[in-house]
Amino acid sequence: MSSKYSFYQIFNSHIKREFLINFRSLIDVISIISFMILIITLFVLGIGPFQEKLGLVSNSIFWIGLILAIIPSLEKTLQRDYDNGWLDQTITSPISLEFILLSKSIAYWLIIIIPLLISLPFFIILLNISLKLIPWLFISILIGGLSISLVGIIGSALTLGAKRGNILLPILIIPFIIPILIFGVGVSETISVNESPIGNLFLLIGFTLIYLVISPFISAFLIRIAISR
Amino acid sequence: MFDWLANPNRFNRITEKTQPFILFISIIALFSGLYFGLFDSPKDYQQGNAVRIMYVHVPSAWLASFLYFSLAISCVFYLVWKHPLADLVSSSIAPIGVLFSALTLITGSLWGKPMWGTWWVWDARLTSMLVLFFFYLGYILLRNAFERKTDGSKTASVLAIVGLINLPIVKFSVDWWHTLHQPASIIKFGGPSIDEKMLLPLSLMFLALSFFSLYLIILNVKTKLIEKKCEALLLKSNLEEIS
Repeated sequence: MSSKYSFYQIFNSHIKREFLINFRSLIDVISIISFMILIITLFVLGIGPFQEKLGLVSNSIFWIGLILAIIPSLEKTLQRDYDNGWLDQTITSPISLEFILLSKSIAYWLIIIIPLLISLPFFIILLNISLKLIPWLFISILIGGLSISLVGIIGSALTLGAKRGNILLPILIIPFIIPILIFGVGVSETISVNESPIGNLFLLIGFTLIYLVISPFISAFLIRIAISR
Repeated sequence: MFDWLANPNRFNRITEKTQPFILFISIIALFSGLYFGLFDSPKDYQQGNAVRIMYVHVPSAWLASFLYFSLAISCVFYLVWKHPLADLVSSSIAPIGVLFSALTLITGSLWGKPMWGTWWVWDARLTSMLVLFFFYLGYILLRNAFERKTDGSKTASVLAIVGLINLPIVKFSVDWWHTLHQPASIIKFGGPSIDEKMLLPLSLMFLALSFFSLYLIILNVKTKLIEKKCEALLLKSNLEEIS
């Protein structure tokens, strides 16, 4: 890399850019949180207001709500940059596209995860999740959110320029999210039965590391295909 | 070797000769496998005659996973060496994979009703077979979602290769989330733990179904080659009309 900027500066400027785009109008963030509240409401209305029934599934409802709320916003992450020509400019720049995509997914992770973590106590009260779960839930959302955003970048790159991409995207990426859901819920479930959640947490971290390695390369490859049209 | 096979004309010539044999082998194996499976194999001491569903269920489950593997491999050949024939092969494998994974799910639920008492159990293997089904479906949907055909096949090839992560999950899910389904009893250390009289029809059926799917794949590829030729001829005649 012959650029005069260091990796840290490039990383920083990309994160700043994403934050400015997403937080200047808070619509995206507000819609994720309110969508999640509405999904939880739908679940509760479907199950019924019985506390003992809800207690059995509250961890799963939380995770499913989280995943479903994030998915609709994934499509925009690259589509917007593709439409306004930012991606074409990025490919011609001397900085590697893989690195830019990595910083983009980390920025996206921070953008979705910070509001969710701030509103975490609220969801815990809504779903009557026990308070001893808070630190573990905090950690597992933090890690799971990173892998969801890494997978989401792949999905977003896959449907770049596709017809009906917004319908296709959930079908393509939900299979990849399944292990994250299983081990994310597993962390909370093992705590609920007073066992050590370390095994599930490590598997969650393992999947996240796999995605961390493969996601930038795959999405860069896909973007190069999409740009060459 | 693959360069040698990747020539469409040579492919046509070779398959012209081998195709009848492949069909012949699959029919022979199918009938003998069905005979041994239905009439000349022991009943299970617990499951009775219902165990005979296994002779369709297990080979199609194997084939569903194996076909996904070969789909991803031919996608690698398409992306790395850019053989157009490899793309045709992977697009021909996909519908057959959908067929076999659907067959596995259907026969599995037919088997599950008398054995477990329900049509469907959310067990690790059933779930991962369902996921495999959706991988095939996603591949086909993504392939057809683009204006230009080559975009679709390149993007979908990447999806298929990434989806290869799913295959180890199918295999190891049995060990990860132990539930109702019995653990793998044929491929494991220390030899198979299944009666030899059951193993014979099982392997015959596996042979029959895999040769039959090979036959279907070759037929599919040939059809697609002819389609491509027609398109080229059409373009050529259009060009001649213009000039």
